[in-house]
Amino acid sequence: MKVLVAVKRVVDYNVKVRAKGDGSDVDLNNVKMAINPFCEIAVEEAVRLKEAGVATEVIAVSVGEKPCQEQIRTALALGADRGIHVEAEGRIEPLVIAKLLKGVVEKEQPQLVILGKQSIDGDNNQTGQMLGALTNMPQGTFASEIKVEGEKLNVVREVDGGLQTISLSLPAIVTTDLRLNEPRYASLPNIMKAKKKQLDVYSPADLGVEVTSHITLVRVEPPAERQAGIKVEDVAQLVDKLKNEAKVIS
Amino acid sequence: MDFTFSEDQLLFQDSVRDFLVNEITPERLRAGWETDTGRDPALWQQFAELGLTGITVPEEHGGLGMDAVDFVLLAQECGYVALAEPLVNHALVAVPLLQDIGGELAARWLPLAATGEARIIAAVEQNLMVEDAHVADLLLLEREGQWFALEQGQFSCERSESIDPARRLYSVTVQAGTAPIVEGARANALRAACLNRGALGCAAQALGLAQRMIDLSVQYTAERKQFGKAIGSFQAVKHHMANVAVRLEYAKAPVHRAAYAVAEDASGAALAVAQAKLMACEAANLAAKNSIQVHGAMGYTWEVDLHIFMKKAWALANTWGDAGWHKQQVAAVIFADGAALGAGATFQ
Repeated sequence: MKVLVAVKRVVDYNVKVRAKGDGSDVDLNNVKMAINPFCEIAVEEAVRLKEAGVATEVIAVSVGEKPCQEQIRTALALGADRGIHVEAEGRIEPLVIAKLLKGVVEKEQPQLVILGKQSIDGDNNQTGQMLGALTNMPQGTFASEIKVEGEKLNVVREVDGGLQTISLSLPAIVTTDLRLNEPRYASLPNIMKAKKKQLDVYSPADLGVEVTSHITLVRVEPPAERQAGIKVEDVAQLVDKLKNEAKVIS
Repeated sequence: MDFTFSEDQLLFQDSVRDFLVNEITPERLRAGWETDTGRDPALWQQFAELGLTGITVPEEHGGLGMDAVDFVLLAQECGYVALAEPLVNHALVAVPLLQDIGGELAARWLPLAATGEARIIAAVEQNLMVEDAHVADLLLLEREGQWFALEQGQFSCERSESIDPARRLYSVTVQAGTAPIVEGARANALRAACLNRGALGCAAQALGLAQRMIDLSVQYTAERKQFGKAIGSFQAVKHHMANVAVRLEYAKAPVHRAAYAVAEDASGAALAVAQAKLMACEAANLAAKNSIQVHGAMGYTWEVDLHIFMKKAWALANTWGDAGWHKQQVAAVIFADGAALGAGATFQ
């Protein structure tokens, strides 16, 4: 079974992001970039499927500018077999990424596509679902457990207030939630091996997709600063404030 | 010649930094102080899985066959998290020493070092106390110009306290009747090479420690407010840390140059290492001093993490040759008859 995994280049989750002075975007100057954590979980799951003898090949794909190849190399170091970079400039919205991934799916014909449920930069949570719609493949989103059984894929989904188990016909799409697995660290020997693995580069035109934009980023603002706390005189004052100011008790 | 680090070396550094920063938290370090051995076998196993225990082991023995230049950036990262495990000694000092000793001993232990099944520790008499003797599967010990290869049971050790609660120092007594494995001129040459590697490891860790203290201080001074402003915005505070940053930047090149000299077994390695250790430890010492200043009274407290890094920096400054000893090494070269002085000779 061939597994395709999408990886996105985002600001490292440890970095405290800042808006540019003019509010036009997030400031990415000298900021450490990394694989989106949910995509890292997707890579880990695909590699585990391969180690379990379920998957035969794991392909990591990323869409974006040339530096995305760093994240593909990281996925290769984590255990993916080969990489595909769809080179596209500028801000690319989820629908376009989904269309480009559909082009890759048509070329590679994977039985399973695993994506992160969302990226920590855009927080859109759209690409996996859009890819499902475009390819007409069944989708199991917010997966916390997956199991391949013959031609079926059982997915345990994290839904509001509990878990839901669904069974999908393969080929299928899965988007990963936080608890699906705990990704490994790339070992030094695997980092060295990753350099020798195949990495193909496509343009959107190669996949028959025109990169268009329907969304304009208007403004980026940091969250409001938290106000300093106060010291209350007694319990009665605390209860009064919780009731009348914070309105958290009645 | 291009002396910049290769893409692979920088990738290794990134990868190891991610691992160490996520796994070796100050909370985990503090928990380690309370355990019997102060060391964590599970963590050592993770090092092995990442290839770190075998990084300097030759490929024919199952390692990656890398050298001091490849490891120096990783040693910096070990310093950044104040790693208590003896990885730097194992990979940078003991494994190359074992290779130099060679023979059946190396053939037996190098594969075990690569897989992480054996922790190899090297110690010279100059250090007085042996760090991590209690967890050494093989202790390569130099005493009075003789080298001993000791497994647990072939030596006894008595613990001594250290300023750094993470360090486990032991006074080691070799079992009577144990025969040395190397003596004479060769033993002295091995000791000199060992001292160079040990001091290089300290220097590289000192760079990481200095950087960590800067980062902690920058974070603290950006959050701590006085007169309605973050204290980091005041020049008097800023300059303290800027001075450390400058000292640290100037110390990096000598350390990297020393790593190259050690890897190449260059004739000037001892001088390069002495200069590197002096500069890196001075940077770390200044980082400790100024970080305490900008932290104010909080800097002295147990609950603030600063002391973890500060104490390690102080301890490293006095191991594998203290400042006085390394200054003597530099002086010996400068004052030698017919010494070539100046750029490219004394100051490299």
